[in-house]
Amino acid sequence: MARKLPRADIVIVGFGWTGGILARELAPTGLKIVALERGGPRSTEEDFAVPVIRDELRFDRRHDLMADTATDTCTVRNSLAETALPMRRLGSFLPGEGVGGAGVHWNGTTWRWSDRDLRIRSLYRERYGAKYIPADMPLRDWGVTSAELEPYYEKFEYVAGVSGKAGNLKTGKVPGGNPFEDVRAKDYPLPPLTHGHGPQLFAEAATKLGYHPFPRPGANASRPYTNPDGMHLGQCQYCGFCERFGCESNAKGSPHITVIPVALKHPNVELRTHAWVQKVLLDSTRKRATGVAYVDVETGEELEQPADVVLLCAYQLGNVHLMLLSGIGKPYDPKTGKGVIGANYCYQGGGGQLMFFEGKSFNPFIATGSAGVTIDDFHSNWDFDRGPHGFVGGSTVQCGGSGGRPIGYRPTPPGTPLWGSDWKRATAKGYQSALSVSFFTSVTPNRGNYLDLDPTYTNAFGQPLLRMTFDFHENERKMMAHGASLCAEIGKAMNPTILAPNRPRNSWSVVPYQSTHNTGGAIMGTDPSQTAVNTWQQSWDVPNVFSVGASSFPHNSAYNPTGPLAALAYRTAEAIRDRYLKHPGLLG
Amino acid sequence: MKRLIAAVCGVVLAAAAPVASGQVSGGDAKRGETLYAACAACHTLDPGQNQLGPHLKGIVGRKAAAVDDYTYSGPMKRAEITWTAETLDAFLADPQAVVAGTKMPFAGMPEAKDRADLIAYLALTSQP
Repeated sequence: MARKLPRADIVIVGFGWTGGILARELAPTGLKIVALERGGPRSTEEDFAVPVIRDELRFDRRHDLMADTATDTCTVRNSLAETALPMRRLGSFLPGEGVGGAGVHWNGTTWRWSDRDLRIRSLYRERYGAKYIPADMPLRDWGVTSAELEPYYEKFEYVAGVSGKAGNLKTGKVPGGNPFEDVRAKDYPLPPLTHGHGPQLFAEAATKLGYHPFPRPGANASRPYTNPDGMHLGQCQYCGFCERFGCESNAKGSPHITVIPVALKHPNVELRTHAWVQKVLLDSTRKRATGVAYVDVETGEELEQPADVVLLCAYQLGNVHLMLLSGIGKPYDPKTGKGVIGANYCYQGGGGQLMFFEGKSFNPFIATGSAGVTIDDFHSNWDFDRGPHGFVGGSTVQCGGSGGRPIGYRPTPPGTPLWGSDWKRATAKGYQSALSVSFFTSVTPNRGNYLDLDPTYTNAFGQPLLRMTFDFHENERKMMAHGASLCAEIGKAMNPTILAPNRPRNSWSVVPYQSTHNTGGAIMGTDPSQTAVNTWQQSWDVPNVFSVGASSFPHNSAYNPTGPLAALAYRTAEAIRDRYLKHPGLLG
Repeated sequence: MKRLIAAVCGVVLAAAAPVASGQVSGGDAKRGETLYAACAACHTLDPGQNQLGPHLKGIVGRKAAAVDDYTYSGPMKRAEITWTAETLDAFLADPQAVVAGTKMPFAGMPEAKDRADLIAYLALTSQP
């Protein structure tokens, strides 16, 4: 029998970016807020200081900051016809765990998703006709526009200390920024990061081809910075230990050095770590949550935290898992297309072009998460006509590595043996002379791609694992072929000594790392029969539950997800504070 | 006011250690305060508060690794440095060159004028 704890006004499940933002924004209400984080506490002093953090084996190869698959994982298959098996070792994506979540080991890349994403269904229907969208693609508008999200995008950029260059200010287009972004009121709080020789070659080649290169925006502080909450960020030192590591210099905008300490200054906000939430508890009507059930994973004690409002702020997969385990919303059935929870799950596509430049030294150890150059000519650029290509979505193409670390970064030219003296010679030479151009593509929803509960496998607590059924479909294959051809075109124009063969991926595999950008499964929108949450990320079925994060995204973009994830969290926080708390019930 | 700060700095620095160059003693503490932003993500000037780095209250004239409740790197503990305008100038220019193995993840402040101004500010805030 679980021990029942004193009631809280608000319980937050998961304490990364979204949980931290909501706690920060709701703390001044004075309401009793309890944040439950399934992992441990994290601080730069205790966990990320030099020299401990420069341990590539521990943090990169062995995923020390990420979720432990021995406790909970998901099962994976490519299609309905297959039997899903548990992912016993992290590969394709790396969910975070612990205070700060994946926000401590992200690269920092922060985009404002444009209306080409947020109004995707309307735009394609208007331009190409309803038949252009395949019947098995449940493409949806998000129910918000980028103009509505603009102030929240800006707020996050100033809190996280994003470095970049605006391309489309209210006052006019700005040369050198992204000309295809939607209009913005203000520039980034910090100037762009410095990039190396490789991205410079990319920028020159892209310009020659008529494209519009600009510095990739990211929460790696290009200068010392104090955010609007008075939190200090150091200047990025380009150490190359960014993605998969916590920042040793407090230079990467992360929840544990921005929103979380600000929230925790309020005595009405309490954080409990090692608190693994198993379920949202519902009353007999199933339309109202009464709190959450959790386990203290250090003692094994089962506890119940009663609360008036439940904010699901776990990783995207965690939010969907909790919705399914708790019976909130109707689970999606791929055979009938009915139900919503688990639908519109999307991964991200991408690939790259490896090159070698005889005699050049790119010094790949000088790196940071987001430094580099990108083109958006084939994603947010609506002048790019998708018609001849026949796909919905697009690609961003970029050059700039996040760290040439000694174990993981071993590029060798095609034909090199995989071991022995020849491999050693090639890897020593390739380290300095290799360079990659990479692309990300959108992934649009497909009726056969979804999340549900696994019928066979359970986690350490005896609960069914989340089952992922996913593969790239025709739309993604066309986009990835196009993205690969763009990389090859630009790569060739950079005039390398060796241009490695560049084969686009056709099918998804859980094994090689690709991207941690999982989206969907509890999507937002304006139609309760087709979506899990409204545009304030509030459950249609249980209105005192909010499911916040990338789980709300109706499709995935060629951009990284943290910008809209944070913007939507700010928008949700404002709606709860200004409207929901005064009149609890469905927001309209 | 500026002249007053400079004058005070000069006195403090002179008291702490013989001043190596006119540039250091002539540091602009007011400008140094803005440059201190580069330190503020990890250091406070509050003696009760160590963060990623030790507090810097009284740093000028202090021995290296002297804050009791801060865990220094081995090399810093063994460094046997007293932080004067001169030693701070060298350390801030290239920390790893002066204390190889320091855990301060900072590549250095290349401009001599910046260092002088920052040290002037640190000296000012080091007064009781």
